[in-house]
Amino acid sequence: MSQHLCEIGYLSRSDGSSLYCIGGTVVLASVNGPGDVKASNRHYNRTQLDVCYSPSTGQSMIGERALESVISKTIEQAIIVHLHPRTAINVTLQEMQSDGLALSTSINAACLALLDAGVQMKSTFSAVTCCIASSGAIILEPTEAEIKESSAVVTFVFDGLEYNVLSAYQDGSLDSDTFNLCLIKCQLAAKDITAIFRKTIEDKHKFDKS
Amino acid sequence: MDSDITESLYIVLPGDQVLRFNPEENRDRIFIGPGLRWQDNVVRATKPGMLKKNGKNLYFVDTHQKRYIPQKREFVIGIVLKKKGDNYVIDIGGSEYATISYLSFENASKKTRKEMKPGDLIYGQLLVANKDMEPELVCIDVYNRAVGMGTLPGDGIMFTIPLHIARMVVDPQNPFLLMMGKQINYTVVVGFNGRVWIKARTQREKVAIMNAFTMLELMPLEEAVDSIPMFFSGFSVHLREDM
Repeated sequence: MSQHLCEIGYLSRSDGSSLYCIGGTVVLASVNGPGDVKASNRHYNRTQLDVCYSPSTGQSMIGERALESVISKTIEQAIIVHLHPRTAINVTLQEMQSDGLALSTSINAACLALLDAGVQMKSTFSAVTCCIASSGAIILEPTEAEIKESSAVVTFVFDGLEYNVLSAYQDGSLDSDTFNLCLIKCQLAAKDITAIFRKTIEDKHKFDKS
Repeated sequence: MDSDITESLYIVLPGDQVLRFNPEENRDRIFIGPGLRWQDNVVRATKPGMLKKNGKNLYFVDTHQKRYIPQKREFVIGIVLKKKGDNYVIDIGGSEYATISYLSFENASKKTRKEMKPGDLIYGQLLVANKDMEPELVCIDVYNRAVGMGTLPGDGIMFTIPLHIARMVVDPQNPFLLMMGKQINYTVVVGFNGRVWIKARTQREKVAIMNAFTMLELMPLEEAVDSIPMFFSGFSVHLREDM
């Protein structure tokens, strides 16, 4: 597993922010909300969730929009959307450094930023990517070069309670046995990520009287 | 246990199980405060923060947050945006603007109405704060007295602090504001929406107070309170140099 590093409260002016790094991929996430929203995006019974992802190089294209929709569908499952009707929560993700793990790093950064902002959620969520090397071995959190050589890449997002799958995103083909093997491996790694989240939040509250 | 004492238990993350509670089995009642939800006989946290409990079996999560979510009866500092019919539209930092009727000020009548212009600051209390309704402010209590509420004079300065710092300094047991009062003369108004309005003799003193508030974000309360005398003494040296 690659090294995970994170920092919260990285931006002073947003309601919640985080910098998350897995190996060579670094994503900066910022959360604003629940705030005002224009009438067309206003729902009478729930919060509108807007996710905006920008890559480290080049313009945001169709691939980034696909990524945004995966991230947005995942976050929507975790946050409690009906508590603040007629509002919007904006999640802005900026990839700072790219090394193939944009999706999982973005999701982890988003979760940490949401925790920093104090948005009410059902549970935390954590994402892990793995790829199947040409030899058939499963590589957890590969580098961009390893992904290029691989036959398939799978990203799982788990909740922080029972580690059930919130979303799974796959590129390439693999059989069901390998898929399940990947799932179990990623599930184990997700527990470590939740532990990182907990440590970060405990650190944020270190001045609270205990 | 003393019912006034609030004890901090531990840090929770959203989804953490706080306790099991089945109202059919448990005879004694518990109260669930902000940041907690009861579902399927389990109380779970929904916000990250310090889980706290007071003697009356009230559980809540104290989170560090910057965005204000209006709550009924809370005192807030608002910025007047415009006049809309018989109401003023006020920005209180929530997702929606609040309104205040020109009659909900002390000694206001239809003839002697309260005049405010955009940009004025007011200190009021939330009469209505509901997720489905527009928040409404008042500047009088149930006996029609102002009790310190109303428009804030123009010679002060307003700045924002995180909400947990605002909640912390308004605690009557908190020595922070009193300790600063021993150093310099100042007037302070703290809103639960994280806005603080201060008035002091000079611009320099205002800046010093603002900096003293940021100390609370970076160090434990005791340390901040202890360093206030040093902080302000160093500051008055500069003042003399200027003269």
